[in-house]
Amino acid sequence: MAKLTPRMRNWLAGLGAHIGTATKKGFPTVIVVETAKVEGDNIVKFQLSDAQVEQIKQNIEENPRVAIGPGGLGSIRAAYQFKGPARLEGNTLVVEVTEIYCTKPGPEAALRMDVLPYESVIKFETTRWRDTGPPK
Amino acid sequence: MKLPKEIVDVLKIKEPDDLIVYLTTSSVDGKCNIMPSLFTDVYDDEFILIPDLFAVKTKINLNENRVGVVTIAYPSEGKKWALRGPCGHIEWGVPDNYSFQGIRAGDVLKKWGDWEEKEPFASLPEDIRPAVVAQRGVIVLKVAECYTYEPEVSGKK
Repeated sequence: MAKLTPRMRNWLAGLGAHIGTATKKGFPTVIVVETAKVEGDNIVKFQLSDAQVEQIKQNIEENPRVAIGPGGLGSIRAAYQFKGPARLEGNTLVVEVTEIYCTKPGPEAALRMDVLPYESVIKFETTRWRDTGPPK
Repeated sequence: MKLPKEIVDVLKIKEPDDLIVYLTTSSVDGKCNIMPSLFTDVYDDEFILIPDLFAVKTKINLNENRVGVVTIAYPSEGKKWALRGPCGHIEWGVPDNYSFQGIRAGDVLKKWGDWEEKEPFASLPEDIRPAVVAQRGVIVLKVAECYTYEPEVSGKK
């Protein structure tokens, strides 16, 4: 099971995310949410506006799989991508992260991280980045 | 669609770390992939160009489903745009006369096939710089629509 590290949680909570959804035939729509709440090991919740719900509702109903990239500076400094099924609970988008990838440009791009031992993921992070979240 | 000057100016090459975008693509059965890029340029006011630097899953998606969305990740103040349209990959080795949405491979690779000539990657901070530069080609998105991702009016064209 995927387990988000403290650094991943901090970046998502601090700067939100770009959330990719698609129809079941693969036509993509992206929304952007500026904060997130991470619960347990791998549940990420986003509070959406009415317009955002309207924009992705049909996609989530027919195809719940979403991809998430950290927002703002996190897009490059927190080079992760999270994937998993999502559902709408009112205006809350609840994502169960089942896959985590590295998106650092270069040979580590697309490295799947959730299949690594948790300690190895922490080590991977500490050898590449000095921060533990977005700048205050 | 021709992009307004305001958008062209933001996406044009300037400094290597002045803008970060995401490119979102999808498999043909709806599994999305979201890839950050520090590098963009604009061709003919309607094509967004992004160098392929190990864009593994993006390319897999584009080989079966040629559509993408570019969103501005940073800095996004006043630039909360999502640009969507046909999206393809022009890889080194394709014939010069290969055409994607009216853009010729030879022209694109000649001008953007070695991106580092335009934006030196060495000037990037070490923790975000590609460890190895091995550009495989250029990703091209022809903008067909532009919508805002401003939360309260998200999706408005």
